[in-house]
Amino acid sequence: MDFGTSDFKFGPITLGEQPRIVNNRGYFPDKNSVMYKAFEATSDVIVGDDVPLYLQSAEDLSSRLIYPMRNGMIERNDDQAWRVVRSLTTYGLDTFKPQPNNGFQGYYVVASLSSVCPRYMYERLMSTFSENNHGMIRAVTVIPQPFAVAIGHGVTTCVVIESGHGNSQVCPISKYPIRAAQVALNRGGGDANAITSEILKDAGYGDLANEEALVRKVKENIGLVPEDLDRAIHEAKRSPRRVRARYRVPGTRVEIDLEKDSWSRFLIGEYVFNPNHELYESYFNRGMPKPRDVKMGDTVFKGMLDFGEAIIASVERCPVELQTLLYREVLLSGGNFSWSVPTKIQDVAVDAPTKVKALLRDRGIRNVSVKMTNSPQFSVWHGCIIYGFAVPENYEWDWQRLEGWMRVPN
Amino acid sequence: MGAQQTVNMDQDQGLSFLMGVKKAHVLILKPDDLAQRNAILDAILNLSALKYTYRLVYLAAPRLFGASVDALMFKSRGIGLLFYDERRIDEAVPAQPLQTGQEPGPSQQDDKAVVAELATLKTMYLEMEQTINQLRNDLTALNNPHSMHEQTPRIPRPTQVITTQPSFPQNPMHVGELPSYFVNNPWLDVLSKRGCGERDPIAG
Repeated sequence: MDFGTSDFKFGPITLGEQPRIVNNRGYFPDKNSVMYKAFEATSDVIVGDDVPLYLQSAEDLSSRLIYPMRNGMIERNDDQAWRVVRSLTTYGLDTFKPQPNNGFQGYYVVASLSSVCPRYMYERLMSTFSENNHGMIRAVTVIPQPFAVAIGHGVTTCVVIESGHGNSQVCPISKYPIRAAQVALNRGGGDANAITSEILKDAGYGDLANEEALVRKVKENIGLVPEDLDRAIHEAKRSPRRVRARYRVPGTRVEIDLEKDSWSRFLIGEYVFNPNHELYESYFNRGMPKPRDVKMGDTVFKGMLDFGEAIIASVERCPVELQTLLYREVLLSGGNFSWSVPTKIQDVAVDAPTKVKALLRDRGIRNVSVKMTNSPQFSVWHGCIIYGFAVPENYEWDWQRLEGWMRVPN
Repeated sequence: MGAQQTVNMDQDQGLSFLMGVKKAHVLILKPDDLAQRNAILDAILNLSALKYTYRLVYLAAPRLFGASVDALMFKSRGIGLLFYDERRIDEAVPAQPLQTGQEPGPSQQDDKAVVAELATLKTMYLEMEQTINQLRNDLTALNNPHSMHEQTPRIPRPTQVITTQPSFPQNPMHVGELPSYFVNNPWLDVLSKRGCGERDPIAG
């Protein structure tokens, strides 16, 4: 089970390459509503594919539709969020309930959480499985998502950089997660949305700039990552036609055209990897939130650290003899690393691995190999499947190392 | 000088080798055998009987078997245990050569030895039966025809021999169809050794 920020991916090995996917959210219905009574729902929390059936007015969404893991973490006392997680685990197991009386003795469940989750999340999730077991679970374990990525990708010594909507994590792996060397960044896809929104406002599309879903689509379609921001802007201003940013919203007459300001496309991608360029100061001064250092759980998330410095800081916390090996395998995972490179501007726009390599090169780190994971969307789930398949049954859970199987009583 | 393959006089699904004056025999379990109730027990019984014919006897089984087996059962009986997959063959339990003086003796000694062996085998059988049931459930789940995204995972064939004592020739078998992220994945070996006291000093 992969508990991602937006999606809950789950399923047994029999699914092969792709898991089942539902939104990582739950809806708390109004029990007095006609829809609730019509469907004779007995559940307090609706999850999975049935959620849209119960959604009512837009006002309902803020109070009744709960996304439990917006930044990969759940507050200790957020009972609503934990109820959603419990419902999702039940939903996931019930979806693959085996035929009765066939000798089934319970699944080995591997759940995956953000690497920055504090210990109480492990405790709470384990107890959720224990309380919810109706013969469906034989044993359960929890592994960090970057560790699952490394397993799914098939590399035993590497640095995994997981970047999602709210934050990013740099995690060295050497047969085990090297937890003491992890570096967390308070920056993710949501920040790229924020700079995109500002660019739209500057270009005269202020009315569209407040629609989150639209801003995200604009970012995905016109955002670019420059190898060198100054050079890319210079080239874009010199040849504006070559980098012209146009996007028509599907199914509408709405078209966004940045025209002579198309150079600002490069600001979007650059911001994700390195928000320190002086050009961003004007946006901060106008009120765009500046990524700041925050503490969540036991972890300090750095706001303005660029990806190059973050990787170096993480690797240099590891033994010297391991550092060369870690730089040889840098894996990028998560939707925030999916950036397109139009053919016409391949001389100035790059993909995420090339950008990370450039950041490291600028800081004196060469002989680096940076790659995207084979399957960015499913690599965590793949890693969970392999872990559950290979780890011996008698490897018991240990709260010091946070690994192993915890038997679940029936 | 490595082992030389000789003619298998026993007509089982195994290989016989000669290493100098020592004779060794390897009985090979195929992936399909794991689903058969008595295949594993038959294999162990056969190998036990061969201990007076060969100096070293081994059981070679798919690596899938490794997660469920208790290696001590083989160690205590001097039977070697090899695990294979499509990448390599590993010696999990070295075989113990038959000591001099343990050759077949008078018939009374035979009877007592056979009775003791039977009692031991009965215990092993009960443990194996439990393991087989678990494996059968796993295989049934993997072969479920109602699954929307069904794949039939089979054990991949080994392609490279890594162990050097004794040296066995390659024995290509049926190509597996596990999901693509299983193929050539070194984590299968790393994770299968979790809890076996092989913790890398560079760890989290």
